[in-house]
Formats: sequence, C-alpha cells, structure tokens
Amino acid sequence: MDALLYFFYGFRWQDVLDILLNSYILFRLYILFRGTNVIRVLILLCILWAVSQAAVPLGLVITNWAKQGIITLAALIIIIVFRNEISFVLRTKNLKSFLWGIPKVQYRTAMNIIVDSVYELAEKKIGAIIVLPFKQGLESVVQEGIPIRGKLSQEMLISIFWPDNPLHDGATIIQDERITSAGVILPLSNRGDLPSYFGTRHRAALGLTEVTDSVVIVISEESGRVSLFKENQSYNSSNRSTLALLLKKYAGDSSVKKRFKHQTIELAAAALISFFCVTGLWFSFSKGMETFATYEVPVEFMNPDQKMEIISSSASSIKLLISGAKPLINSIKSEQINVKLNLSRTTAGVNKISIIKENIFLPPGIRLKKIDPAELDITLDKLVEKEIPIQPHWIGKLPKGLIMKEAEALPRTVIITGGKMMLEKISTIFTEQILLDKITESGTASVGLIVSPASLRLKNNLKIEIRYIIAEKSTP
Amino acid sequence: MKNFKILFYAVVMALCYTADIWADQHPLKTKLVQAVMCESIENFQPVNSGVVFSISSGEVFCFSKFDPVLEKTYVLHQWYKKDKLIFTMRLTLSPPKWSSFSRIQIRDIDKGPWRVEIVNARNTLLQTLRFSMAD
Repeated sequence: MDALLYFFYGFRWQDVLDILLNSYILFRLYILFRGTNVIRVLILLCILWAVSQAAVPLGLVITNWAKQGIITLAALIIIIVFRNEISFVLRTKNLKSFLWGIPKVQYRTAMNIIVDSVYELAEKKIGAIIVLPFKQGLESVVQEGIPIRGKLSQEMLISIFWPDNPLHDGATIIQDERITSAGVILPLSNRGDLPSYFGTRHRAALGLTEVTDSVVIVISEESGRVSLFKENQSYNSSNRSTLALLLKKYAGDSSVKKRFKHQTIELAAAALISFFCVTGLWFSFSKGMETFATYEVPVEFMNPDQKMEIISSSASSIKLLISGAKPLINSIKSEQINVKLNLSRTTAGVNKISIIKENIFLPPGIRLKKIDPAELDITLDKLVEKEIPIQPHWIGKLPKGLIMKEAEALPRTVIITGGKMMLEKISTIFTEQILLDKITESGTASVGLIVSPASLRLKNNLKIEIRYIIAEKSTP
Repeated sequence: MKNFKILFYAVVMALCYTADIWADQHPLKTKLVQAVMCESIENFQPVNSGVVFSISSGEVFCFSKFDPVLEKTYVLHQWYKKDKLIFTMRLTLSPPKWSSFSRIQIRDIDKGPWRVEIVNARNTLLQTLRFSMAD
C-alpha cells in the first residue's frame, strides 16, 4: 500500500495530461503507419532495444555493442528504407487523418466479389459452380481438386471458369475469402424429379446440398441462369440483388461485422498498449531510482529598478542539491534550472535577499533538497551622472634639461554615468599612459580615457586632446 | 510721521542689501594668489614649476602664496596619488601675507598621476594641482 502511495505521491494534473497526450500521439502514429512495414520494423527495434538492455546486466558485451549500433542507425535506416511509405503517408493523409481520423471499414466483402463475379460469368454465359461450405466439412464428400489457397478476387474467380482453363469443369470452393481449391468433383444427386433444364452442374450442386449444409451457386452455360442451392432446395436468382439477398439469407454476410469488430478490437488494443507503454515510460522516468545531484546555477535578477545598478552580489551563482529519478536527473539541461530573484523591493545600498523555493525553477519531477547559500547580499546603487576632471597620465622620462610647465586636457572634464556610491569615490578620470621620452617641445597628444570600474560609462566616447608646454629648466 | 518711519526702514534695508552685494563682490578674506608644483624652493620662490617631475629629483614641493591674510589661520595641503589620500599637511598662515609649502620625498613606487588639493580652514577647496611623477 505504501509502495502504491509512493507511486502516486506528487501526481499532478499535468502528469495525467502528459501521459494522455503522449499516448494519443503514439496511438496516432500507429493509425498512420499501420499496415506498412514501418510498424513491423519499429516493433523489431523495440525488441532489439529490450534485448540490448538485458544484455548489459548479463554481460553480453558483443551483443550489447551490436544492438546499440543497430539502434543508433535505426533512425537513418527507417528514413532511407521506408522513405516511400513515410512519403506516402505524409502526402496522402490530411489534417484530420493526422489528428483524429480513423479509417472506416470499406472492404469489398467476399459476398460482393462473388455476386459480381457470378453475374459477369452469367452475362458471358460461362458455366460455373461455386461452393460455399458452412459448418460441415467437405473432405469426405468431394474429390479434392487442385489446391489454390489464393485470395478471392473477381478476376481470379472468372479466370478459373474461363473456357479452356483446365480447372473450369469442376467446382470451386471458397472459404473465408479464399479460394481453397478448384476443379473439385462433387457428388451427383440421384433425384428423378429435377427440371429438364438442370444439367450436370445443377445435379452436382443438388447432390452436395443433400449431404452437407453448403451453399452452392450454379451458372448455366446454356442460358446464363443463376441458381442457388441450399439444403436440397434450389432458388433462382434473376439479378444481383436477389443473389445478394439469397447469399445473405443462407450463407450469412458476417464479414463486415466481423471486420468492424476486428478493427475495433485492434484499435482498442493499440490504444491500451500505447497508454500502458507511455504510462510505464512515465513512471520509469519519474519514479525510478532516486538520485541526488548538485547544480551550480547562475542567479537571474528580475524587475530591477531602471534607475539603479547592481554593484555587487555576495555570490553570482547558487548551488542547488536536487533529487529525482536517474533518467530525469541525467536528462536535465542547464537552461531548465533557473534561480530568479525579484529586485522590485530593493533599495540603494546593501540588500539581504533570502532565496526560497519560489525563486527556484526546476523541471517536473525534480525535487529541491538544499540551497547554498540561502541568502545573498546584493548591493545596489542609484545611477547618476557626474562631471569629472581629466588628468593626463605621463610615463617615461623627459629629455634632460626640459620640464613640462603645463598640461591641459581638452575638454577639461567628462560626464560619467554610474552608481552614486561608486562615483562619490572617483574625482579624476585618467588618460591612457602618454610617453614622455620623445617629447622635446610643446605640442598636443590625442589619447583615450581609462574608465574603471567597467560599470561606469562615458556619456560620450571621447578622444581627449592634451596640450602641453615644454620649457628648459632653470639652473640653480 | 508714520510715512517717515516706513521711508527710514526702507532706506536702511536698501543700504544693508547694497553692503551685502559689495561684500560678496569684494570679499575681504584670505586669498590664494599662487599655487604651483615645483622641484625646489629658493628665497621663498618656487623653482622649476611644472606638471611632470622625475623621481630622480628626490622630492616635489607644493608652493602656495596667500595675499592678503586677514587673520591667523591655516590651510591644508592634501596629497593624493590617483584618488587615494596619501598625506595631509597643515600650514599656518599669518597676516598680512604668507607663502608656505609642503613637500614629499618621491621614490620609484610613487610614479603615476598625483594631485594636491589646497583646502582652507572651512574645508573649502581653494585649488587642485595635478601633476605626474615619472622616470
């Protein structure tokens, strides 16, 4: 009971949706590709995968290696080998077929084929005798003809009775939509009260129905008349619909219902298998062996005041100890774990912000165990502008006997944008280093500015001109 | 009589206001008339004033001259390397005028941009002198 409770602990409506959605996708894939070789190969690949999984604990190194190779190439194999099937499905199916349509039963039933074949033969006045066995077997009654075991089709049936065909003289037996044999010799009836137009085929048909529960259809070679025999009785059929009715009455046209029932069972089974597969997969992912892992996640700061700047943080990333099923832990990508801190209520200066579960965003099925550190010191500063004087930074050595009397930066000041606290500490912006060694007379130098720290920004990215005056030193 | 009193007060207020403006425009207070960085001081005058000094000279002077000095007071010479205050020297000024200086001995590690801020007793910045120490 406890194990069952553990299985359903933390089960959310999103999980139900997850399972149902993926079950439906799997089911739709089956609907789309059923009847093609793709499904068979996919089933084969599933079996291979199961074998390779079993090969690992059993220590079957080569088997495991070979199976893994095949499965690795499976996607490529499926696309190359079954490109035609996939292309056919994609080209011929519409949106309804992809999303919710289920193909309706539109089989041409055996009875339709028989009726159509019989009347085509009748129109051409080709004699024929067709036996449709019911429950009683024919083995002891008829002389076995030539076994065919072919799928019933109009063309096949007509060709059997076509004149000069070696099989055309005997009866053809049809069972379960298959032509089982042709050229079969039937027992003849000994009755003496038969109409004069009854020929050998009629007698044979009557003879068979006297001893079995079969239905026999006879086409007269002379008149093209169609007769149906059942239980020692003969019935004339004047047209297709009459014959169809007679067949339905005596032979029973259950194939449509059978097929519909068969398809319903097949689809229900496919739906159930899809559901159980996805459910099993879901549970193996989310409730498998629990594993712990530590992730170091960078902190994201949300809703900062646009007039404030983050000067520093006691930590830029947070260590999270998480737990979950091993497959889920292994499949985590760094972008799936986020730490987001809301700075909307912070003020200028040092802010102590606690990191709570609501700040941590984890993938479904992953549980948070520990946050380190659980509190951050974040220093914010108000953004201001400050006009700061520029000072040249001279290096090297002036030639002997010379002295630099004056040096002036143009412009004399620059406007710097940055944190108020930061800018309070800064009263001078220095230029890049300017070499003195080659200076022998007054002149100008064009230099850039060194703005440090990097959070400070120059309002205009200026090149500064330094004008300097050189004079000779006075000797004491 | 009442009108005369009002007129009297108005004249007094106008005179006071005018005196304030005159005082602002012509303040009778200690005035910094010269401030330079130099290599040495001779006869109370700066020698080789400039903005770049070689460490080979061994020391650098900040010379300041005040005229007039109305009362005994003091100024501060605050020496900064980049934006870091290195040391402060308090210099006494005496009437009627006064010249004074501070100096720093310079070593190899002192190379870089410097400034000296001259601040009066009321902590008002009178002048900033910017210079560099180089090879």
